[in-house]
Amino acid sequence: MDKALYIAMTGAKQNMFAQRAHSNNLANVNTTGFKEDFAQARSMPVYGEHFPTRAYSMTERPGTSFEQGPLQETGNNLDIALKGDGWIAVESPSGEEAYTRAGDLQIDVNGMLRTGAGMPVLGEGGPIALPPASSVEIGSDGTISILPLGAGVGLAQVDRIRLVNPDPKDLEKGDDGLIRLKDGALAAEVDDSVQVESGFLEGSNVNSVASLTEILSLSRQYELQVKLMSQADQNSEASARLLQFS
Amino acid sequence: MHPALYVSQTGLSAQDTKLTTISNNLANVGTIGFKRDDAVFQDLLYQIKRDPGALSSQDSQLPSGLQLGTGVRVVGTTKQFSQGSMQMTERPLDLAIEGRGLLQIALPDGTTAYTRDGQFQVDSDGQIVTANGHLLEPAITIPEGISQLTIGSDGVVSGTQAGEPDLQQLGQIDLVDFINPQGLKAIGNNLFRETEASGDPITGTPGLDGMGSLNQGMLETSNVEVVTELVNMITTQRAYEMNSKVVSTADQMLQFISQNL
Repeated sequence: MDKALYIAMTGAKQNMFAQRAHSNNLANVNTTGFKEDFAQARSMPVYGEHFPTRAYSMTERPGTSFEQGPLQETGNNLDIALKGDGWIAVESPSGEEAYTRAGDLQIDVNGMLRTGAGMPVLGEGGPIALPPASSVEIGSDGTISILPLGAGVGLAQVDRIRLVNPDPKDLEKGDDGLIRLKDGALAAEVDDSVQVESGFLEGSNVNSVASLTEILSLSRQYELQVKLMSQADQNSEASARLLQFS
Repeated sequence: MHPALYVSQTGLSAQDTKLTTISNNLANVGTIGFKRDDAVFQDLLYQIKRDPGALSSQDSQLPSGLQLGTGVRVVGTTKQFSQGSMQMTERPLDLAIEGRGLLQIALPDGTTAYTRDGQFQVDSDGQIVTANGHLLEPAITIPEGISQLTIGSDGVVSGTQAGEPDLQQLGQIDLVDFINPQGLKAIGNNLFRETEASGDPITGTPGLDGMGSLNQGMLETSNVEVVTELVNMITTQRAYEMNSKVVSTADQMLQFISQNL
């Protein structure tokens, strides 16, 4: 059998993986703070003791686009967006520190400040808990001040959201969609230059036009691979015909 | 089958849910005391097809792996308890709360529900009731012949009996607050119920200790902003179209392979 069939097959199969990465981006085109994933193909030569003609294709996710998404005004004091680079530190379900840019914060029944997905937001000393307050303000450096219930006038500063800005090359997206430091990277320090805008949310940074175009071009590429597969089939059919006794 | 089909399907159903919350918000744009809902989206788990750092030969390794997302889901909807704007009605039994707090309503089953809708009326026994006939809590009865009913910003209800010069105190309206009002469960009829997430009700006098004050002769309108909702509707619709485009593309790919091989 012609080995071209198998090479075309990996091409089609890997196209489908890339297709899936892009469709995931498009499915999250309205998700607050979502960061777009890249997909790229790599040619993967087959190593071994033979004539080196075969190179299979392989799709991979080399990284995530950390470009800023559009800011959307919500007018809600507890919605925060970051201007420029930086990350909001949250506690992941497994207890370690993770990062997000989805700033749709809420206060739960115990006064814990949580993201819309339910992760506790980290402050200067662990998860932030707020006393009962009639209003909560978040300053441009992440400082949280509250007007305590029944205290009349005067805002009291309670905590400060842990904002960090590690080198993007040390960051990767985990399988729960949160951003984490790569193994071996230095622990992230609080960065005073990270700017918070209260009353805004950061939208998804997915470029819908680019993603859709990419999906269409991948689908044509896929058809090309399928065409090659049927070509390989025709070739072997022709040679089989030549050798037939008639 | 093509995995992109299932991924876009999550996108389609999430946009669908969002459209439902938007249409409910828009439908209630004129509802007194209505608080708008926002749908909260989150990306689903990522599936690791190949870890970064896998060996590509004995002494070389791949610099990046393949992690594929599985789509999006709606985590929930959150009620936004921002203040709606005030509308003058001049009706003596219309109340608007300015600031935090909710009015208490006694339900027929003996439980208490909470509302920001202050359109009250008087039933045949002279008791203050909502438009649905549920009693305001604590119950206040207005005796016959009362004119000049006044409800103070601190919740004191008073009136003058015809022919008597002195002001007569009839009752006191209290407000309740919750540590997490967003955790309240909306049960329809403009009413909310307390839940585990909202915490226990904290009762207080209007205007004191951070509680909002009462305004007689006014109503709080819905806090839905029509422009915002319409813009959200446009983005939701376009996102829906793009996801359905992915579904049809994936369908064409499958069709192409089954017809050509």
